[in-house]
Amino acid sequence: MMREESIRIPFRFAAGRAGSRMLAALRDDKQILGSHCPVCVRTLAPARPFCPECGGENLKTVELGSGAVLVSWTDMPGRGLFALVRPDGADTAMIHKLLGQSGDFHIGARLRAVFAAERRGHIADLQGFEPDPGSAA
Amino acid sequence: MRPAAIIGTGQTDHGRCRDDVSQPELIREAANRALADADISPADVDAVVLANMEMFEGRALPELWVGEGAFANRKPCLKVATGGTSGTSSCIAGFHQAASGLFDVVLVIGFEKHSEGHTQTGMALTDPFWDRGVASGALGNFALSISQYMAERGVTREQAARVAVKSRRNAAMNPHAHLKDANATIEDVMSSRVLAHPVRLMDMCPQSDGAAAIVIASAEHAAKLCSRPAWIKAAATRHEQPYIGDIDRRLLTMRTLRDAAQSVYARTGIREPLKQLDVAEIYEPVTYAELAWYEVLGFCAEGEAGRLIEDGITEMGGELPVNPSGGVLCANPVGATGVIRVAEAAAQILRRAGAHQIDGARTALATGYGVYAWADALILGSTP
Ligand SMILES: [Zn+2]
Repeated sequence: MMREESIRIPFRFAAGRAGSRMLAALRDDKQILGSHCPVCVRTLAPARPFCPECGGENLKTVELGSGAVLVSWTDMPGRGLFALVRPDGADTAMIHKLLGQSGDFHIGARLRAVFAAERRGHIADLQGFEPDPGSAA
Repeated sequence: MRPAAIIGTGQTDHGRCRDDVSQPELIREAANRALADADISPADVDAVVLANMEMFEGRALPELWVGEGAFANRKPCLKVATGGTSGTSSCIAGFHQAASGLFDVVLVIGFEKHSEGHTQTGMALTDPFWDRGVASGALGNFALSISQYMAERGVTREQAARVAVKSRRNAAMNPHAHLKDANATIEDVMSSRVLAHPVRLMDMCPQSDGAAAIVIASAEHAAKLCSRPAWIKAAATRHEQPYIGDIDRRLLTMRTLRDAAQSVYARTGIREPLKQLDVAEIYEPVTYAELAWYEVLGFCAEGEAGRLIEDGITEMGGELPVNPSGGVLCANPVGATGVIRVAEAAAQILRRAGAHQIDGARTALATGYGVYAWADALILGSTP
């Protein structure tokens, strides 16, 4: 005998101080924020409340560029292209979508961020990254 | 700390869908087999440790429903849930309980019934802000690392396919394995469906229904109950930064696994793992990870993993057989998967591995892998 059912789980999560700054900047300014840890001398993307490496809370919020470098990518049939991209000014990568065709991308390629016209304070306000035609790389 | 050893192991017959049993019954199947293997009764068990990913099956507090299957009634019962490492971490928790003097006999059980839930949903219910909505799931995350590994170390699709072939061939000798094929070929793997470039179906571990259990006993009890216990010589666990983008070249560097392995090697006098280990049961979620982690675990130099698999060094008859059981690629009930690694390593020392026994195995490595880059490592040996 089998019992079949699906459950719906309502939720509401606080984005927190750093997360809220990051989401507001995406929505209001089409701006990606990062956090610089002076101890690790490393700029993290996206912005966050404490350094994941040393645990320090003394982080400086920095504005990252809308240009980025493709760190790695994959193509999932039926789901699209996903990538780790390193925004200009950051030392770490963000996971996000790639906009284009498989053949458009190679590791190390220059990309640029694409923002949604309607933005609501969500990571998807940043729609993804596309090849940067203005770049020789 | 006092010595502690594994004196019995038990596994279900893992498969795609075990509709014939409920979750408590599935667990009882593994628990009964482990207790029979250790030749003890449920009353001899002082404490129980459970490993499971509760959201994968869409129900909370699994210990409430399945605890009785694990003989936990009126005993201390602890649940460990750390993604893929849950199984190895629960074995380490049980080891700490026995080695610390807290308990004499500990039953560790991991399980998962993937067929009863929705694993992708469970995975998606992690970070609600930066992962959900843009994340590619476990599969896509591996694929992202693999693109880097191939580009940097020159590992080929064919070398990865050899790992899948070895795994399925070994699994054919393991009665508990889910996927078995003594005649699998490199071409079969390379022509299987693309899941996430460059990962194909046969490169990736399955989702299985299954449970696995081990019995850990303190030195005094182990010596009394077992003629040839599998002593837990050293264990280490390492967590990592939580966001996938924070870890540079994750699959290649896997610094958590490197650190955990170096820690257990140092405590057991292992300087040349390839020579000094007799067998390894490593948690390889995808073929390419097995190759990358040959390097991380010190079986070979960086960039040499492809040669290791091509030369048959890690085959059943090679210098260091890796995953004689068929590994994670052939059975993956996630909460149980780490317990299976430890149980298989222990069975080799106990000389109870059956058709996939490695002759004369005295020193074994078991590893765990979880979430983006968490790692466990254990060394088992035939002497305390
Ligand atoms: Zn820091």
